[in-house]
Amino acid sequence: MISRRSALALTLVFVFGIVPILAQQRSDRVKTVGSRFLCMCNCNQVLTQCNHVGCTMSTSMLKELGEWVARGDSDAAITAAFVKEYGTTVYAEPPRSGFSLLAWSMPAVYFLFGAILVIFVIRKWRSRPANVLHTTPGGVAVSSEALDRARAQAARETDD
Amino acid sequence: MDVFGSFALLLAFVCAVYALVGGIAGIITRHPLLIKSTRQAGMATCILIFLATFSLEYLFFSDNFASAYVVSHSNRDLSTFYKVAALWSGQEGSLLFWSFLLSIYVLSVLVVYRNKNGELMPYVGVVLAGVQIFFLTLNNFVASPFKMLGNVSASGAIEPFVRMDGNGLNPLLQYPEMVIHPPNLYSGYTGFTIPFAFALAALLARYPGEKWIHLTRKWTMIAWCFQSCGILLGAHWAYAVLGWGGYWGWDPVENASLLPWLTGTAFLHSVMMQEKRGMMKVWNVWLVFTTFLLCILGTFLTRSGIVSSVHAFAQSSIGSWFVGFLGVILIVCFAAYVKNRDYLKSENRLDSVVSRESSFLFNNLLFLVACIAVLSGTLFPVFSEWFTGNRISVGPPFFNKIMIPIGLALLFLTGVGPLLAWGRTSKESLRRNFGWPLLAGVVSALVTFAIGYRNIYSTVCLFLCGFVAWTIFLEFYRGAKVIATRSGMNLLFSAQELAMRNTRRYGGYVVHFGMVLIFIGLAGAAFTVDVQKTMNFGDSMKLGPYTLVLQSADTKADKNYTAQRMIVEVLKDGKQAMLMYPEKRLFQGRDQASGTMVAIYSTLREDLYVVFAGQDNDTNLPVVHAFLNPLVKWIWFGGVWVVLGTLLALVPSRKVSLVLAAAPEPAPATVMPALNPTVTLREGHD
Repeated sequence: MISRRSALALTLVFVFGIVPILAQQRSDRVKTVGSRFLCMCNCNQVLTQCNHVGCTMSTSMLKELGEWVARGDSDAAITAAFVKEYGTTVYAEPPRSGFSLLAWSMPAVYFLFGAILVIFVIRKWRSRPANVLHTTPGGVAVSSEALDRARAQAARETDD
Repeated sequence: MDVFGSFALLLAFVCAVYALVGGIAGIITRHPLLIKSTRQAGMATCILIFLATFSLEYLFFSDNFASAYVVSHSNRDLSTFYKVAALWSGQEGSLLFWSFLLSIYVLSVLVVYRNKNGELMPYVGVVLAGVQIFFLTLNNFVASPFKMLGNVSASGAIEPFVRMDGNGLNPLLQYPEMVIHPPNLYSGYTGFTIPFAFALAALLARYPGEKWIHLTRKWTMIAWCFQSCGILLGAHWAYAVLGWGGYWGWDPVENASLLPWLTGTAFLHSVMMQEKRGMMKVWNVWLVFTTFLLCILGTFLTRSGIVSSVHAFAQSSIGSWFVGFLGVILIVCFAAYVKNRDYLKSENRLDSVVSRESSFLFNNLLFLVACIAVLSGTLFPVFSEWFTGNRISVGPPFFNKIMIPIGLALLFLTGVGPLLAWGRTSKESLRRNFGWPLLAGVVSALVTFAIGYRNIYSTVCLFLCGFVAWTIFLEFYRGAKVIATRSGMNLLFSAQELAMRNTRRYGGYVVHFGMVLIFIGLAGAAFTVDVQKTMNFGDSMKLGPYTLVLQSADTKADKNYTAQRMIVEVLKDGKQAMLMYPEKRLFQGRDQASGTMVAIYSTLREDLYVVFAGQDNDTNLPVVHAFLNPLVKWIWFGGVWVVLGTLLALVPSRKVSLVLAAAPEPAPATVMPALNPTVTLREGHD
């Protein structure tokens, strides 16, 4: 049998020790999961950050989220519930599957394509002869150095 | 005044059409009188737009509530200060304001170059007139700001109608920064029209050399400076007014302003390749074209309603006009390029991969990738809806994940670029130049790690900030030391002399330093903490070293709004530090619309940011949301440095003259004095 004093001690440990920890964990989880959704008030802000004056949505959405987290629903279940209720516009970032994968992969594709282009340009420029002669409309051949000098002169004359 | 304004706009449209048609005829016939008359028509267009804009402002100041636009965006109690801002608070007025700012640029160009560049200017005039015609078409026939209120009488006639008062100005705009943020941003958008006009004109006219770049460099920098100011002021406004604790939310309207800034910045760098080495001619022309196209696209995104945004103030079906205009520009640019692309052949070769040229290429690559990533992210919801039927949102977490690595790579190149030489950089030079900056980077990363800022991106960012800051310092130090040695001046004055001798280069370094400060501020975002609590009077909450106690609340009445104010006592480390007054304003006129006024206590280390977030639905008690935002002040300081650097770069460099030192006493015999001068070249390091 647990003595009355032990029971009181256990209750105190539960109330002042475990309950706050559980509450903190729940609150942290609400923040983590909530950061994956947008507030549906059209402000384009993450749900846990939206507090603009007059927002009609964030309070009720956070309340819903808090209830689901307290019930112990999984992240996937919460996401599914939000998407069912608000549609795919609720995502703060596109999911990494299906058509949305394009959004994630495109910046890398742009970079790779651009990098290949830059490398191609560098190779092309390096393969050029050192002293190119340029032909003017009058048929006179002009070296790159002469063009550089002319360019410098133009720069001086127009540097106002 | 409304009739006067309408008439002025209509006349401006006629003059602009003449400037375009007459200009083309002048180019074909080369008739000097025709060319001169079209230039004057261009000037007249600008002056008429000024008159129309002033007449709309007059309608606001005279509380003319017969005007539909004034009724929608003003009221009697609105202060004079905000009546100025009411001009651009709606679709019609902001389009007129766009024309107004564009006219300032156009008139300046036409006046400054009236007797110069005779071959190029008719083409420039035609392009500018074309752009003006588009906006004047909107001003006159699509979104006229001079519509009057009227009632249809029993006989079917329209009778004028005057309202007693107006709806008032959007509360979000009733903030001092909103009076200067849109003009700055619009000046940036419209300013990029000038380099666009010169680039297209040079291509059409096959204007020789890089002169168009020399002519437009300052115009581009002015537009870029305004765009930078506009973006930063917008960020500050979002921070201080929207009350969500941040300054950049990757909102479509914010993204729209960033896009031309990114390509404009790329252009300001790549243009040096053309000036110094005659390379990247095609690239530069298309960068200018793209920058202008992005300005128009940004306006389209803001106004069409195609993407949703909290601060797209003026949405309508006007978008199709912008799509049409974008199409026309694209066709004209492409046709001009195809016809004259041989004129844009690159002249030089690249000597080494490890060179300034390569760093510029990669710098441009990163700016372009950043631009396309932001653009595709902004438009992804639209694309996803087209292809799948579901609109998938792309919010701040996506942009942060994509843009932080790109931003860090750009910061790295900001430090590397100046350390590399044009043409080729030797290994010895690399070792000599990189040693100290790398050490500075490591020290700054260690220091920030030691004081508790521990996050991988922030640590890398602060390492790079130290690295770049040190390269900039070295650039100034080395140059100033040479001048100090030759002239005997101290290092500080020598540095000033150095900067004045090559304002463009050293102004650029000051801008880079400003960017370093901005990145330091951005690095702090990873350490933001916040707490929100429903509070009764006397309740407290803890946030970092601060304890916030809600003391009481009061109301403050103004002519145009009533503010409900929370009085929050702030204790730091247990000692009373200050009182803060976050408030919520209830505005008159607009169906009791409300706005917020955040209380911010800002230091270099952190901002204490307190928002009165409304009342709890269940208890009716006030809800206070407080944030501790580290290093935010560095962003605004950085912005000031960016502007100062740009201004320095706009100042003409001090001419360095060849000075003959006093000749030594004549030698008694053999050599004639005049044949033996000691020449001292007082030339600075460059």
